[in-house]
Amino acid sequence: MAGLELKALRKSYGDLEVIKGVDLHIEHGEFVVFVGPSGCGKSTLLRMIAGLEEISAGELVIGDRVVNEVEPRDRGIAMVFQSYALYPHMTVYDNVGFGLMLAKTPREVRDKKIREAARILQMEHLLNRKPSQLSGGQRQRVAIGRAIVRQPEVFLFDEPLSNLDAALRVDMRMELARLHQDLGATMIYVTHDQVEAMTLADKIVVLDGGVVQQVGSPIELYQRPANLFVAGFIGSPKMNLLPAIVDAVEGDVVRVSSKDLAATAIRASGEGLKPGDSVTLGVRPHALTPTESGSVVGQVALVERLGNETNVSITLPSGTSFMAVLDGDRALRPSGSIVLGFNPADALLFDGAGLAR
Amino acid sequence: MKQRASLLGGVAAIVATFVVFVIPFLFIILMAFKDRQQSALRDFSWPTGFHLWDNVFEVVKTRNWMMITAFINSSIITVASVSLLVVFAAMVGFILARRKTRWNPLIEFLILAGLMVPPAVVPTIWVLQGLKLFGTLHGMILIEVAYNLPFSIILYRAFIATIPKDMDEAAIIDGARPLDVFFRIILPMLWPVTVTNIVVQSVGIFNDFTNPLYYLPGNANATVQLTLFNFQSQFSTAYNLLFTNILLITIPPLIVFLFFNRQIVAGMTAGAVKG
Ligand SMILES: Nc1ncnc2c1ncn2[C@@H]1O[C@H](COP(=O)(O)OP(=O)(O)O)[C@@H](O)[C@H]1O
Ligand SMILES: [Mg+2]
Repeated sequence: MAGLELKALRKSYGDLEVIKGVDLHIEHGEFVVFVGPSGCGKSTLLRMIAGLEEISAGELVIGDRVVNEVEPRDRGIAMVFQSYALYPHMTVYDNVGFGLMLAKTPREVRDKKIREAARILQMEHLLNRKPSQLSGGQRQRVAIGRAIVRQPEVFLFDEPLSNLDAALRVDMRMELARLHQDLGATMIYVTHDQVEAMTLADKIVVLDGGVVQQVGSPIELYQRPANLFVAGFIGSPKMNLLPAIVDAVEGDVVRVSSKDLAATAIRASGEGLKPGDSVTLGVRPHALTPTESGSVVGQVALVERLGNETNVSITLPSGTSFMAVLDGDRALRPSGSIVLGFNPADALLFDGAGLAR
Repeated sequence: MKQRASLLGGVAAIVATFVVFVIPFLFIILMAFKDRQQSALRDFSWPTGFHLWDNVFEVVKTRNWMMITAFINSSIITVASVSLLVVFAAMVGFILARRKTRWNPLIEFLILAGLMVPPAVVPTIWVLQGLKLFGTLHGMILIEVAYNLPFSIILYRAFIATIPKDMDEAAIIDGARPLDVFFRIILPMLWPVTVTNIVVQSVGIFNDFTNPLYYLPGNANATVQLTLFNFQSQFSTAYNLLFTNILLITIPPLIVFLFFNRQIVAGMTAGAVKG
C-alpha cells in the first residue's frame, strides 16, 4: 500500500526555479494526472518522484518512508517513458525481464512473471521480437509490460500516448484505465492533453509555471475552476473569457456589463468588489443558445457543422472572438448577425487577480 | 552528357584505386614467389619457379623462429590494447556525453591535444623506466592505449550523444547500477562504433612500427613489423624474403577487414541519421 505525500517540493537548475513549492497528497490506488502546458514542469515533478532528478528542497514520502535520498530502484516505482526507451539490442522477453534479472530473480519465477505480464497486455506472440520489429502501439505495450512486471506500488507515466496516432491513443487510453482497475496500484500520469486528463483521472493536478493551480476531480475542475488559468485550460473548446466591468454589487449577486455584453446578473461572492472594478466573465461554449434577446450579439465568422452539433466562431463588437457550440445542425450564414444567450447560473466570475468568485 | 561524365569519373576512380592499392599488392605477391636472384631485379617479371613455400619456411625460421615470437607478441599487444581502448574510450565518451560539468571543455581540449601533439619519446622512456615498464609487453600495451585513446573517444562520443538519455534512465528505474547501465545497455548499443574501433585500432596497432622500435627493444620482444629488419642490411637485402615477410604480416589485418567489412561502413555513418 503506497500513497504519496509531496511536501513543499522545489527544484531549481542553478538560478532557474522550475518547481516552486508543490504540496500534494495522493491516496493509495488513485489515478492522478498532472496536466499543464508544455514547459510547466510536469515531467520534472514526475522525475523527482521517480528519483531521476534530485529534490532541491522539500520532502517526498512514498508509502510511509521519506525517499528523498532513496535510489529509484528502491522506491517501489516503475516508469513508462514517452519515447518508450526499449533496449534495442534485447528481445521483448529480455526487455520485460531486465529489471527482474538485475534483481537476481530465479529464472522460473522470472519466466512466469514475464509471461503473466505479456498475457495481461496481450503481447505473448511478440516476446521473441526485437523492438525494431514492433509498431508504435506494440512498443508502448512492451514499455508498460516492463513496468508491470516489477509489481510497483506506484506507476509513473510521462506522456505515454503522445507518440501514437489518434485512434490508437483512444484504445490505449481505455486499456490504461482497465489496467488501473485490474492492478489497483497508484498511478501518476503526465499529459498536456486535457482530454486524456479528464477521461483517465480520479484526481487532476493542474500545473502552470511550476505552481499547482488547482487539484480536484475532473468534474470539479470543469464546473468550478479556481482561477482563469484552469478555466481556460480545462474543457474543449476553451471557455470564453470576456472582460467586463462591475455595475453593482448586491450581496451574492454581481451585475456586470461591457461593450460586448448586455447587463447580466451573476450569482457570485461580491465581497471586496465594488462598482467600476474590472472582472472577467467565463462562459463555456456549450452553455450558449441562440435566442431572440440574449446578452451577447455578434457577427458569425466561421461555422463548423458536425451534424450533432455546430461550432460557431463569432466576432464581438470589440473585435474579441467568441466560441459557441450549438445543439443540432444549424445552417448559419458566415458574416450574418447572431444573438446568443446563457443561463447566468452557468457563467463564472473572476476578479481582477484572476481568482474565481 | 552527364552520364558520360559520371562514367568517365567512375573509370578514373577504378584505375586510380588499381594503381594505388592493387598494383603494389600484386607486386608483393609476385616477389614472394621468386627466388633471391630474380627478386633482386625488383621488376614485374613473372616468377621463374615456384619458391613461395621455401621463402615462407626461410622467413619463419630466421633468427631462431623470431617470426613466431613476433606474431605472439603482436597479437598479445593488439588484443589487450584494443580491449582496453574499447572499454575505456566508451566509458570516457559516455561520461563526457552524459555528465555536463565545467571541466568538460578542458577535458575535450586535452583529448584534442592528445590527438595532435606528437609524443615526446625520450621523456616517455624515462617515465617508463621509472615505472619499471620499459621494454615490457604491458608497458607497450599502456603506450598503445594512451596514444590511441583520443581517437577512439572521439569516435564513441559522437555516437553516444545520439542515444537518448531515456535509455539510461529506464535502466536506472529497472534497478541498474552505473556499471550495469554501461555494460548491459550502453556498450551493446555501441556495437557499430566498437567494430569500427576494433578494425581501425587493431590494424594500426598490429602494424605499428615506430612505437615498438622505441619502447620495446630486445629480440624476445620483437613485433611483426620489426621482423622486416631481418632481411635488410646495408650491404645485401633478400628481397624475396622481405616481401614474403610483408605478405605474412599483412594477412591478419586483412582477415580482420574481411570479417568486419560490412559493419565498418555502418559504424562510420552511424549517428549521422537518427535510427
Ligand atoms: N536539465 C535542465 N536544466 C535546465 N532547465 C531544465 C532542465 N530540465 C528542464 N528544464 C526546464 O524546466 C522547465 C520544465 O520542464 P519540464 O518538466 O520538462 O516541462 P513539461 O511540463 O513540458 O514536462 C522547462 O522550462 C525546462 O526548460
Ligand atoms: Mg514533459
